[in-house]
Amino acid sequence: MSELTFAQVDQTVLDTLKPGGKSYWALIAVLFCGVLLGAGCWLYQIFVGVGVAGMNNPVAWGTYLINFVFWVGIAHSGTLISAILHLFRAGWRNPIARAAETMTVFAVCTAGLFPFIHLGRAWMVYYMLPFPNQRNLWPNFQSPLMFDVVAISTYLTVSSLFWYTGMLPDLAIIRDRATGFRKKIFTVLAMGWTGQFEQWRHYTRGYLFFAALATPLVISVHSVVSWDFALAVVPGWHTTIFAPYFVAGAIHSGLAMVLTLMIPLRKIFNYQKIITLHVLESVAKTIIFTGLIVGFAYATEFFIAWYSHNPLEQYIFLYRPTGDYAVGFWIMVVCNTVIPLLLLFRKVRTSIPALFVISLLINVGMWYERFVIIITSVARDFIPHAWGTFSPSLIEYGIMLGSFSLFFFLFCLFIKHMPSVSMTEVKEMLE
Amino acid sequence: MTGESRVVGLFTDAEQVVGTLKAFKDSPWSVRRVYSPIPHHKIAEALKLPKSKVGYFTLVGGIIGFFTGFLLAAYTSIQWDLIVSGKPIVALVPFFIVGFEFTILFSVFGNVLGLINVSRLPDTNPPVDYDPRCSGDHYGIVAACPPDSRDVLAAFLKERGADVSPATPPAAG
Repeated sequence: MSELTFAQVDQTVLDTLKPGGKSYWALIAVLFCGVLLGAGCWLYQIFVGVGVAGMNNPVAWGTYLINFVFWVGIAHSGTLISAILHLFRAGWRNPIARAAETMTVFAVCTAGLFPFIHLGRAWMVYYMLPFPNQRNLWPNFQSPLMFDVVAISTYLTVSSLFWYTGMLPDLAIIRDRATGFRKKIFTVLAMGWTGQFEQWRHYTRGYLFFAALATPLVISVHSVVSWDFALAVVPGWHTTIFAPYFVAGAIHSGLAMVLTLMIPLRKIFNYQKIITLHVLESVAKTIIFTGLIVGFAYATEFFIAWYSHNPLEQYIFLYRPTGDYAVGFWIMVVCNTVIPLLLLFRKVRTSIPALFVISLLINVGMWYERFVIIITSVARDFIPHAWGTFSPSLIEYGIMLGSFSLFFFLFCLFIKHMPSVSMTEVKEMLE
Repeated sequence: MTGESRVVGLFTDAEQVVGTLKAFKDSPWSVRRVYSPIPHHKIAEALKLPKSKVGYFTLVGGIIGFFTGFLLAAYTSIQWDLIVSGKPIVALVPFFIVGFEFTILFSVFGNVLGLINVSRLPDTNPPVDYDPRCSGDHYGIVAACPPDSRDVLAAFLKERGADVSPATPPAAG
């Protein structure tokens, strides 16, 4: 990358903002159709009732909560890359930080829809808001579900502000090179940024505080999500390992999604000189690390179930690999812990097609992890006569497809209208 | 600043900027501002700028945030004083979590407001000496001198590799 000049970096990124061709708008149209399909399914559920989903008694938490946890998890690596790796001064994060932050913001937006969808009567969401009311009914802040409301809304707000603040110098670059109406838009968005050292002095300090605040936040958010489960006295959920296990899993899935997005992005936008193979390799090495933590967490769960002599706990951990959802369990184990080990081989982690396929498999594995955790524990609760099974309905599949479409729709719109690589941070790397 | 004249020197190399800033110390002129496409630490050191005060805003935001979160949880719990799961009405551990999240949220609000305040953003009237190339690949030194020594100052900047002629950057696609 060192052979690049500042002007080449700017030009490479500015070229991505040229009006999209027919294939771009065709992709946008397809994704928008997916969004409409998901919205239609949700509307149908609102009119008919939440019974159209496959959730039942005892499996009251179905794909809506699986997708919620999945998307929150995806969001996490954006903050890992932009905040935690910034604090560690890991230079390789600079070219992918913007796209990862964008992924975070849109993944949290997507995740945030699922509690509304899961509510059934979405308009009752105001029950979770603390506002003065006639009957003095207030939300119960002792509940982890209320922690979640606070944590996720904080995360969305903080990551959006972090994302926008980080973009200010880049918006000024576009403003200075745009003409006509675009110039007017970017003049407003850039807020008069000129890159005076007086501005940089405050900006670098503020950005450092952003990173320092986002780091504990990102760890707390997925810990709080894990407590939605761990604070319930349900076999397979009620365990202290859940918080670190969920955080590691979230970063594992998020890094995989970073690869899934970055590999086509660098090819389509000619980012090969900016998002180098070294960058992708570094992400792959981090995936090996998170994969090992996730594998260790899986093994610990089984060990504790055996060691505890708790028959209910032991039953759940026998049921997961051998019961109704054994296929999902083995997909989870293989995709999240075995396949990432292939990245130990340099030949694999420097092969773009291999990286892309592995990243997709990890995404699948991490979705199944949430499926296995959420479904199996409630399907085999304490009382055998209350046992049940779960299979998603077509409406749930529609909403799930809609959520994936929404995420990719927003991401594709962003990368063609805003700088998908931070020009300023890449230039910092060159110096 | 009556009778002051300003000259803008544009550089493409950060080292030249650092060298020029050092040379200004032994000159009769003063540096009004420096534009840079990146936060170059050597330039920051040469300018000897004081530490930013953004952190105070962040700290105040964080303190307000913790008490807001904790007291909100405690207040609502006292208003509906039903014992749940055997926890006390004002349960310290769960409410600390709410307090923690609010600490981060309000710290970030403080951080953003502080940044906007001390950086004087949004700036609707950017300085007239701002050259758009400074957001791309140029560094700019704006120096002030008496009107009669403008040419000498320009020569001083040129001697150190600066381009003092105005130009416009290429248009984006």
